[in-house]
Amino acid sequence: MRTSWHEIWGSGRGPAARLAPQTRILAGAAFFAACLMSPALSAPGTVFITATTAVWIYASGLPGRALRSSALLGLAMFLPYFLLVPLMVKGPSVTGPGTGWAGALAVPWGILLHGLAGLLIATATIATLTASDLRGGLLALPFPRVLAAILVQIVHQTFVLLSETNRVAAAMAVRGGSGRWRAAVRMLSSLPRVWLPRILGRADRVAAAMEIRGFAEADLRIFGQRVIRAPDAVVIVLAGAVLAVAATLRLRLL
Amino acid sequence: MTSPAPALVFDGVTVRYEVDASPAVDNVTFSLAAGERAALVGLNGSGKTTILLAAVGLVPYEGDIRVCGTPVSRRTAAEVRDRVGFLFNLPDDQLLFPKVIEDVAFGLLRRGFDRTEAYRKAVLALDSLGVGALAEWPLQHLSHGQKQRVALAGAMITDPPLLLLDEPSASLDPPGRRALAGILGRLDAAMLIATHDLDFGRRLCRRLILLEGGKVANDGEDLSTIQRLWEME
Ligand SMILES: Nc1ncnc2c1ncn2[C@@H]1O[C@H](COP(=O)(O)OP(=O)(O)O)[C@@H](O)[C@H]1O
Ligand SMILES: [Mg+2]
Repeated sequence: MRTSWHEIWGSGRGPAARLAPQTRILAGAAFFAACLMSPALSAPGTVFITATTAVWIYASGLPGRALRSSALLGLAMFLPYFLLVPLMVKGPSVTGPGTGWAGALAVPWGILLHGLAGLLIATATIATLTASDLRGGLLALPFPRVLAAILVQIVHQTFVLLSETNRVAAAMAVRGGSGRWRAAVRMLSSLPRVWLPRILGRADRVAAAMEIRGFAEADLRIFGQRVIRAPDAVVIVLAGAVLAVAATLRLRLL
Repeated sequence: MTSPAPALVFDGVTVRYEVDASPAVDNVTFSLAAGERAALVGLNGSGKTTILLAAVGLVPYEGDIRVCGTPVSRRTAAEVRDRVGFLFNLPDDQLLFPKVIEDVAFGLLRRGFDRTEAYRKAVLALDSLGVGALAEWPLQHLSHGQKQRVALAGAMITDPPLLLLDEPSASLDPPGRRALAGILGRLDAAMLIATHDLDFGRRLCRRLILLEGGKVANDGEDLSTIQRLWEME
């Protein structure tokens, strides 16, 4: 994959950028939940999932390159389930509503649609948020203060690790000499050995720094936050409605 | 007239990380006058970092530690840390915000300064370290040396009377080291600079406190003891 996750954050240039960060987080979470909740096997369900995903991708202004990469990633992750279809046709039909081929196809189709929609919505949400937005948004949501401070720090440290990961990946690509895939495989296999001790050691030191700098006691809302305005209210109501539709579709099926 | 309390006092301080292990810091005594600078030199594992952490109450200790006259304890930890600027070995460990200006201004915002004023002072602090142009940058895009200056700006912004610096010259190139020494040399705060870079320590401090296996092996302006000991390795 040519686009790294690190670059996707805040890369969106869509209308969603005009919303307060907390609205973007809430809306993304609501759409994500709605798509996972609604059934993939009925026509209305399929239309609903596709439409919700498309609208949120448009609103986020996810760059085409990032959209293509994450769609490809999703297909690579979820298409292989179709390979199981022949096995399921022969077996006793216990899954899904239909029998035979239709019933067997239903399972991987559900996985593909839910998986792809979830992945794209998550990517689109990420694209609407820069690191500062994400922090501001988390602080504005009604979490307890200490929880918010910890979440914010997790987010920040994740960004630090991500940029470090990019450097390590570059170093490995240079040293390995050959393609990205080999670098990726090597990096994954080195994760537990190289990263875990580093992360644990760092966690200790970051915790010490947080204490010395008075991070946990500070009210981080001092950083100011965007207030909720009319468009935010509209989007929040809309996201609630989308969730309600998803719930209805789901209940009808049961 | 009474002279101001010493910036830092260690009196018979012992730190053990594990109950029956040998102490990481062993009966250490020294005192740093207001505005005085001393280098805490020692090889890896000699206890430099532990001493700095003990001074801000981050590791339990036996004995007596005072910062600007206040005994360091769990109860006084917050008060003590308000008087101390701490520079970690790796700036990545202490930079806690995505944007340079936010990180530097944090110390002031935390004390109730309003945002405009805090940001204005933060830019001044960055300017004084030659990195004013980086104020709006995301931290991930900075080099190690730049991050270190940002961390230092964040530590100095509240004008603490005591700066504790953990190997500030490690992983800086020689011009970076000289520049950092120049910057630190202009500050009025008392400083305890942990380092195994004798050159750097010497550039900033006449007084060298030599640590060996957690004990103070020498405390003074004389380099020869250190050179003799380190040459023997
Ligand atoms: N968190 C810890 N737990 C146990 N032992 C530690 C810990 N931190 C340091 N030590 C030990 O304490 C001694 C002094 O370490 P340190 O103060 O980090 O030395 P320096 O900073 O001079 O390299 C070393 O023997 C080290 O192994
Ligand atoms: Mg150390």
